[in-house]
Amino acid sequence: MQREEKQLEASLDALLSQVADLKNSLGSFICKLENEYGRLTWPSVLDSFALLSGQLNTLNKVLKHEKTPLFRNQVIIPLVLSPDRDEDLMRQTEGRVPVFSHEVVPDHLRTKPDPEVEEQEKQLTTDAARIGADAAQKQIQSLNKMCSNLLEKISKEERESESGGLRPNKQTFNPTDTNALVAAVAFGKGLSNWRPSGSSGPGQPGQPGAGTILAGTSGLQQVQMAGAPSQQQPMLSGVQMAQAGQPGKMPSGIKTNIKSASMHPYQRVLSQDGGCYELVPRDDEARRSPDPGLPSDGVPLANDLHPPDLRVLRSVTWASHHG
Amino acid sequence: MRKILSPRVRGYRQDFLKIAQVYPVPYLTGGSESSCVVFNLDTMEAPPVTMMPVTGGTINMMEYLLQGSVLDHSLESLIHRLRGLCDNMEPETFLDHEMVFLLKGQQASPFVLRARRSMDRAGAPWHLRYLGQPEMGDKNRHALVRNCVDIATSENLTDFLMEMGFRMDHEFVAKGHLFRKGIMKIMVYKIFRILVPGNTDSTEALSLSYLVELSVVAPAGQDVVSDDMKNFAEQLKPLVHLEKIDPKRLM
Repeated sequence: MQREEKQLEASLDALLSQVADLKNSLGSFICKLENEYGRLTWPSVLDSFALLSGQLNTLNKVLKHEKTPLFRNQVIIPLVLSPDRDEDLMRQTEGRVPVFSHEVVPDHLRTKPDPEVEEQEKQLTTDAARIGADAAQKQIQSLNKMCSNLLEKISKEERESESGGLRPNKQTFNPTDTNALVAAVAFGKGLSNWRPSGSSGPGQPGQPGAGTILAGTSGLQQVQMAGAPSQQQPMLSGVQMAQAGQPGKMPSGIKTNIKSASMHPYQRVLSQDGGCYELVPRDDEARRSPDPGLPSDGVPLANDLHPPDLRVLRSVTWASHHG
Repeated sequence: MRKILSPRVRGYRQDFLKIAQVYPVPYLTGGSESSCVVFNLDTMEAPPVTMMPVTGGTINMMEYLLQGSVLDHSLESLIHRLRGLCDNMEPETFLDHEMVFLLKGQQASPFVLRARRSMDRAGAPWHLRYLGQPEMGDKNRHALVRNCVDIATSENLTDFLMEMGFRMDHEFVAKGHLFRKGIMKIMVYKIFRILVPGNTDSTEALSLSYLVELSVVAPAGQDVVSDDMKNFAEQLKPLVHLEKIDPKRLM
């Protein structure tokens, strides 16, 4: 008995504090609505509602708490009704209930809802019972599914709209194009018209190689090229010149290549002419020996614009020019 | 056929070698004047080694390369970004015609030389370039590294090469912009295919993108260059992804 009374009192206190909080937040919400009506934003209204719902939730939890006795079993009976002002009551209710009289009691001590409300509730319960348990379950499930679908759609839309601003920027380059361009510069894939490049297969001259090559828009590009203004600036090669380290020493790859080029049929033409110069010596010793074509007095080059092999080459072209 | 000149042949009153020949003699760099191989063809002597110091490191110039591409509609933003990042100069555009010559020998792999001329700058010399095979192996190196030899020549370069036995493999026209940052060179250009061989007026664009190349020509062994290049490439993301692309993979 004692324990129950203590429990009752404790739960009542908790309930009281919860209800006081709820009342405060409701009051502030009403104030907000009335005073700041012009500048109110939907998010702040939502915040207030969220607060209220949270407080109602805790209230529910308190009521469902195991230590709370069933209040349903308790009954409040007014013992004395008087039309006089009661100071104590005033203090306890913060000035809201000055008199504990016949008008106040039915409202404050009510345990049932209004008759109209009661009617509506009864009707709703009969409707719900009429449907049947299975159908009700199905309806509940479909409602849940629709809600979750809607939520998904909304969240997806939100995500897409955020990244939608970024997406156009992402497509600033195309890796396929990169590969095609690099291949074109490195070994001429897709460039040679009359000699097909290795990968496009023999017998397909002039066919585009990689998939991103334009076709049939040559007219436009021509116009653009012809219209390109020429500007007075140092050329590309000029830049590279400044950076190039050294002149004519070619890496040894050339040595073997040129050596094998001595098998070039052209070579035979030269030697047949007799007295024409050898373009390339055939072996090491020949390389070190003085070129028969050079002037024998070893005149030093006064002008490095006329190296000896140029003279060689000039006569070679002479010989090769057949009329 | 007159002027096949190497950039630094000066001062030596001796005949120098034909371009095609290679001597195992170490490079002789005579001060500020010359850095070419010299061999006196009358006396058949090399200058005494003690006279001229051998300076190592400048023998092989390597090209460090990073490549990427950018779509036409994003070109403007890339150009703006490059103008901000690179050295402050007037924006340079170029229009070049490049021809690639092959010399097929008895070996399987032909020898490749690239000849380039400017179509919009009158009087500029032709440019001949040799690029070696990319050096493989070092995964830490962020850029493609290959041996590189550059030479300026006169206008009769194509005739010369044809006489030497080279045959033109392919050609294209490159039109675009050039930027510089220190020793780094950034080129953004569009490649145009030449429809009629030899006629540079009939061209069509190869794709809807511009090729972006970041390159440095530096002596061999300076891998710190590739770190600088990588840092610069980071600044161009996400507009362009500059990376080392192995051409052999694309064959």
